[in-house]
Amino acid sequence: MVRLPMVPELLRQLFTKPATNAFPARYLPPSVTEFLSQVAQGTAAITPPVPVPPKFRGKIAYDRESCIGCTLCLKVCPAHAIEFLPETKRVRIYVTQCIFCSQCNDICPEGSLHMTPEFLLACENRYAETQIVE
Amino acid sequence: MSGDNVKKSIPYTVPIGPVHPALKEPVMFTFQMEGEVVRSVDFAPGNTHRGIEWMGMRRNPVQIVHLTDRICGICGIVHSLSFARAVEQIAEIEVPPRADYIRTIMHEFERIQSHLLWAGVAAHELGFDSLFYLAWRVREQSMDLIENITGNRVNYAIVQIGGVRRDISDDQRPLIEQGLTYYRGLLDQMKNVFLNDSTIRMRCRDHGLLSYRDAQLLCAIGPTARASGVAMDVRHDYPYCAYGDLDVHPVLPPQEFGGPKGDVYDRIIVRLLEIAQSIDIIQQCLDTMPAGEILWEKKMPKLLLTLKKAQGEAIGRVEAPRGECMHYVRMDGNEAPATWKVKASSYSNLMSWIPMLKGEQLADIPIIVASIDPCMSCTDRVAVIQGGSAGFLTKEELTRLSQKKTRRLIQCR
Amino acid sequence: MPVDALWTAAGAVLVAAFGILAALFLLGIDRIVTARMQARIGPPLSQPLTDLRKLFSKENVVPANAIPWLFNAAPVIALASVITILFYIPVGGFPPVLSGGGDLILVMFLLTIPALALVAGGFSSGSPYATVGAQREMVTMIAYEFPLAVVIIAIAWKLAASGIPLPFTLASIQAYPIWGLVGPLGMIGALILFFVLLIVTPAELSRIPFDTPEAETELAGGILVEYSGKNLALFTLTQGVKTVVMASLAVALFLPYRLSAVLPAPAIIQPVLDLLFFLFLVVLVAFVSVSLVRVSMTRFRINQVVSVYWMYFSLIGIAGMLLIIADHLLGVA
Repeated sequence: MVRLPMVPELLRQLFTKPATNAFPARYLPPSVTEFLSQVAQGTAAITPPVPVPPKFRGKIAYDRESCIGCTLCLKVCPAHAIEFLPETKRVRIYVTQCIFCSQCNDICPEGSLHMTPEFLLACENRYAETQIVE
Repeated sequence: MSGDNVKKSIPYTVPIGPVHPALKEPVMFTFQMEGEVVRSVDFAPGNTHRGIEWMGMRRNPVQIVHLTDRICGICGIVHSLSFARAVEQIAEIEVPPRADYIRTIMHEFERIQSHLLWAGVAAHELGFDSLFYLAWRVREQSMDLIENITGNRVNYAIVQIGGVRRDISDDQRPLIEQGLTYYRGLLDQMKNVFLNDSTIRMRCRDHGLLSYRDAQLLCAIGPTARASGVAMDVRHDYPYCAYGDLDVHPVLPPQEFGGPKGDVYDRIIVRLLEIAQSIDIIQQCLDTMPAGEILWEKKMPKLLLTLKKAQGEAIGRVEAPRGECMHYVRMDGNEAPATWKVKASSYSNLMSWIPMLKGEQLADIPIIVASIDPCMSCTDRVAVIQGGSAGFLTKEELTRLSQKKTRRLIQCR
Repeated sequence: MPVDALWTAAGAVLVAAFGILAALFLLGIDRIVTARMQARIGPPLSQPLTDLRKLFSKENVVPANAIPWLFNAAPVIALASVITILFYIPVGGFPPVLSGGGDLILVMFLLTIPALALVAGGFSSGSPYATVGAQREMVTMIAYEFPLAVVIIAIAWKLAASGIPLPFTLASIQAYPIWGLVGPLGMIGALILFFVLLIVTPAELSRIPFDTPEAETELAGGILVEYSGKNLALFTLTQGVKTVVMASLAVALFLPYRLSAVLPAPAIIQPVLDLLFFLFLVVLVAFVSVSLVRVSMTRFRINQVVSVYWMYFSLIGIAGMLLIIADHLLGVA
């Protein structure tokens, strides 16, 4: 007796909505930043991305004012993504090197570092402004 | 095809790998075939070596915990857990009970998503893509829960030396309960489509056999050994984290499926039943989780100082989805460990490919290779080649070489 | 007669064009339908055309170990032969382009040529994967020819026994559908034969569960592993046109109905209606025998393919044939 228990499931799925999360746009726009600005103005449509949960570990945010230059964050960064600037006694974080572990958030005594929900970070220039946080 | 007078076909060699659609991770196979039947097999791992132990010997344990997260993408927390356990034993740090329970919950979630991933991959190797999409679709629920608790789907970064970094808050609890209910309802459907399907049974039953004796002789671990009838499970034999309070037994193929035979079908059974076991364990942990601290030491500079002063050696062992994962750490008063050795779970299972693959057909190679759930990223560490030729090492030679290495480890700082 | 030859040539060109377009359409529908069944979105309907355009623009790599003339000739022979089969099958409700030139037996022989061209291409690729794939294709061919022959012979026998002249030609099969000729016992037999023909179709087209020659996870593409560029495009097109051929054959043998016979319509629209209805039937047959089967099973091993065809489906086909014979004898007596 041949049993194929998947067949009813497949036929049922033919009539249900697909489970795929669609891409933001149907076709790749010629310039991503221009497309995003068009979306902000309301001239282009975008399939909204799946919302991230709270406390998602995205791009790091750095509060220059509260930082005291103790360099404890350098001691715990596994990727050596934080650079200390002795002249100003502040740090500079390279997002391309960062592994988003948020260990620096835990050790900072002043709470100057947080993780934001931002995850659309792709860029072609390693040293672009969006990839360096200071 | 030319008739009965050609009894012996000409042997030929089929290389599979390092890159091949049958393999999810690179490993170099060389098969000696006669017709469609495998006569002998040889394999050479080592293609995903990334120098992680070298990196670890230049970082302090707090940094290494995040490095261990990235040893393997699927086994997200087991390497961090074993490393943390080893360091905690050296520094004599006691983990608070609530942290143990949270570690157990994440450990079991990782087991659920790893087994579902494997189920999908096995179906894909068989050519059954619909099951592949189904298994990975239901896996998304556990990935969403993991993302909610830890902040990321894959690299959890939740284990810290001395506890966990994030707590499970009261508003996360209903989400977890919802996820568990979803999986309980789904498990019967998964068992139905995997275990009652005639074509899967046709392909998997009585192929890739690993006998009980072979499993013991080759030191197979994890679901590979349990499917052959060897009842070993680190959670049961050497309880760690919260498993001492829970009642965990090794999952063997039950009698209703014919008892343990050691074929591919049994390994599917064991992994699906382990998902059911994990759901129960998470539920138990949620119900009995004590309140309290989640970190041994909240002030990180104090933790770093304690770890710097620690001296000694220890082994941390946990039950990864693929078997027992061991980390050996030796610290001698410096910031970075003096020695760190990762023995991943797939390392012990690799040799069981040889008896499993002999005599099988070419068509069965992908599913048998996938049935031990090989994770080469975990496994590949330094490969030292002496002389460049293959050979055999007898037991006496292996003993002599390990004694030589131990002496070298003791002498070096 | 030169005018006849001109009409035949024009018809051949039209049928070839229809074959290729219908191939692309069927391939596209198959991908969308299988994607929806797996809860995915799937590609747009024009994806096979995009794939072919891309393949034609890529470099045609001939491996150093290959036999170049055979390697490059195999796809051309495969596509040419499979389009030739279309000339003998009533497409779109019209009589075959070369009716009178050949019949079902010729179609059966012609169906082996694309498979042999694939085998030749596989053996000449100079890769162990392709060699194993070519061996498997030969074995699969041997396996499914027998049930196919049983189906064809059973239908032709019934037509001959009913006194219809030229029982093997598709024109006469189209004029006298099998369902009208048999009693209730024969209807069951004919249904069984229809089922067997639908099961032979995935093996002819190298689709799961019988796609052992081109197993993606086992042989990295099997027969087609070394093919690229224009050669691969021709082989892909061959597979598409073969789908049209097999589905048209099934429709011509078992569902040779024309919409215009039932629906009253002006004479100018009748051919269009017939064509559309034919296309609809072809899509239906392709859905049941290719798409649905493709998503619901694992791939079989080569020895399982052989035993499935030689034991199970041959016996089932013979049972269907015996039912038709019994029904005829009962009807006569």
